[in-house]
Amino acid sequence: MDALNSCMAAEISRRRLIATGLLGGVGAAVPALAQRTVNLHLPGGNAERTLTSAFPSKCSMILQRTRPPLLETPMGVFDRSVFTPNDHFFVRWHWADIPTAVDVETFRLRVGGHVARPLSIGLAQLLRLPRVELAAVNQCSGNSRGFFQPRVAGAQWGHGAMGNAKWLGVRLRDVLELAGIKPGAVQVRFGALDQPVVPDGPDFAKSLDVDHARNGEVMIAFGMNGEQLPLLNGFPIRLIVPGWYSTYWVKALNSIEVLPHADDQYWMAKAYKVPAKPRADVAPGAMDFPTVPINRMIPRSWMTSLPEGQVIALEPSIPVGGIAMGGDCGVAKVDVSSDGGRTWYRTALGPDEGRYGFRRWDGRVPLRRGTNAIMSKCWNTKGEAQPTTPIWNPGGYMRGNIETTHVVAA
Amino acid sequence: MKAPSTGLLTGGVIAMTAVVLVLIGAPHERTSPTPHASSDAGVPASSVASGGIRLTSAAIDLPADDASFPGGGGSDIINANCTGCHSAAMALGQPKLSADQWRAEVTKMREVYKAPVDEADVGAIVQYLIGMPGQLSGEQSGRAQDPAPNVPSPRP
Repeated sequence: MDALNSCMAAEISRRRLIATGLLGGVGAAVPALAQRTVNLHLPGGNAERTLTSAFPSKCSMILQRTRPPLLETPMGVFDRSVFTPNDHFFVRWHWADIPTAVDVETFRLRVGGHVARPLSIGLAQLLRLPRVELAAVNQCSGNSRGFFQPRVAGAQWGHGAMGNAKWLGVRLRDVLELAGIKPGAVQVRFGALDQPVVPDGPDFAKSLDVDHARNGEVMIAFGMNGEQLPLLNGFPIRLIVPGWYSTYWVKALNSIEVLPHADDQYWMAKAYKVPAKPRADVAPGAMDFPTVPINRMIPRSWMTSLPEGQVIALEPSIPVGGIAMGGDCGVAKVDVSSDGGRTWYRTALGPDEGRYGFRRWDGRVPLRRGTNAIMSKCWNTKGEAQPTTPIWNPGGYMRGNIETTHVVAA
Repeated sequence: MKAPSTGLLTGGVIAMTAVVLVLIGAPHERTSPTPHASSDAGVPASSVASGGIRLTSAAIDLPADDASFPGGGGSDIINANCTGCHSAAMALGQPKLSADQWRAEVTKMREVYKAPVDEADVGAIVQYLIGMPGQLSGEQSGRAQDPAPNVPSPRP
C-alpha cells in the first residue's frame, strides 16, 4: 500500500469514528470535529485522545504522548490489511533521547562480551549475510492496558499498540556465529542508540537466553514491509523476536553483548515482570507474588469491521470481520458471537501469511434491535483459546481475553 | 595478475549500484515522506547497498511538545520537575489513581529513573496529580468493555 492511499484511508476512518460519536452519543461531538479526537472507550473515562499527523513518516496516529513518543494505531487500520503500513505502525520509546539521525555509512553494530572475536559490523557487511523474511506481530507488553479493571498506571493503550509487518533481515544466529559464542554463555543483551535523559538513569537494554538468541528465528531486520524502517520504528536495524512481546524487539539496535550470567540490570531484573501464574493473573491489588520476565505472546482477536458504538440499520444479519493472532504459533480457528457469547458462529480464515502474523477472519452474525455485543474468540494451533474473563496484574501486561464491541441496530 | 585498484573497485560498486537501482527502481518512489539527508540540504543522503537492498541515511525533526500541566496551584512545581523527561500528557491521560498510587509513581520516577525531583516537592506534585481534570469523578464516563460477572459464560 502506498503512503498516499494509506493516509487517505486513515482520513476516512477518522470520519467514521467521528460519525460514531455523532450517532451513538459517544464522546463530545463538536470538540471531536474541532480537535480531531478519538474515544478509546476505556472503562472509567479519561479516554479521549488527539489524532496527530505531526510525526515524520507517520499518518494520523492516536497521540498518547509526544515525548518520548507513544503513538497508537487506530483500529480501522487493521481492517484494511493484515499487514500494518509503516506509516501507521505504532511507536513506543522509553527515554526521550531517541535517534533522530543515522548515517548508514558510519553506523556500527558492536558484538562483544563472552565471545571469541568481538566485532564492529557495518550495514554494508550486514546486507551481505544470508537473508530471511518473516511476517510477525509486534505487540507491546502493555497493549490494551487501558481496559484493565481496576485500572493501572502506565501508558493507557487501547488495542492499537501492535502491528504486523513483513520483516527482512539476517539471522541473529549468523551474527553470533561470526563472533563465536564462548562456552558458558547464558544470555545475550541487546542495547540501542536511545539514551537516558538523566544521569544514572537505566539505559534501555533487553536480554534473551542464549539458546533462544541462536534458534535461527530471531532476526536483525533492516526491511519492514518492503521499505527501510522508519527512524521511529528503529532504523537502521531492530531485533525481531517472533512470538514474543515487543519489549524484546530492541529498536535502533547497536550493541549485542553475550553474557556468562543472567542479565541482572533493571530492564530485565525489575521491569516488564509478570506474575509467575497462569495467564499472569493475580487478584486485583495484589503486590507480593513471584514474577518472571514477560515472554511469549498468547492468542488474541478483534472485530475490526465496525468500531465501538457504531449505529447501523437493523437487518437480520450482518457480515463481520477482523484479525487474529495465535501468539507464539499460528491461528487454528476464530468463532464470533453477537449475543455476548451465548451463541457462537464459525468464521472463514484468510490467507496464512506466516504463523507469527495476523490472520484475517470473516463471518456473519444475526442482529437484534438495540445493542449487540459482538465478540470474537481465537484458538491457536496449540489448542490454546482466548478466555472469557480478563486477567489483572499491576503492570497491565498480557491482556488476552475475548474482546467485546457494542454495535447498535436501530 | 594485478590486483584491481581501489578506484576500479569503487567504480564497480557504483556501477553495480546503478544497475540494481535501474532494476528495482528508485526505492523512495514507494516510500512515505523521503527522509532528508543528514548533511546539508541539496546533498544526496548517503547510502549503502548490497543484494538489491539499499539503506539510505535518514534524519527527522520531532514535533515540539509545548503542552504543559495546566492551571494554577502547583502547576509550576510539576512543570519544573516532571516535563524535563516526559510530556505532561503522560500524567494527564492516566485513569483515576489514589494519592498513594500517585505517590508510588513519583517515587518510582525519583528512585528508579533517577528523575531530579526534590523530595520537598513530592507532596505538592501528588496534590496536583490527584486534582487533575481527568482524576475528578465528574469526568468519569465511558463504558466497561468486559462482560459483567453475571453474564453466562460462552460455550467453548
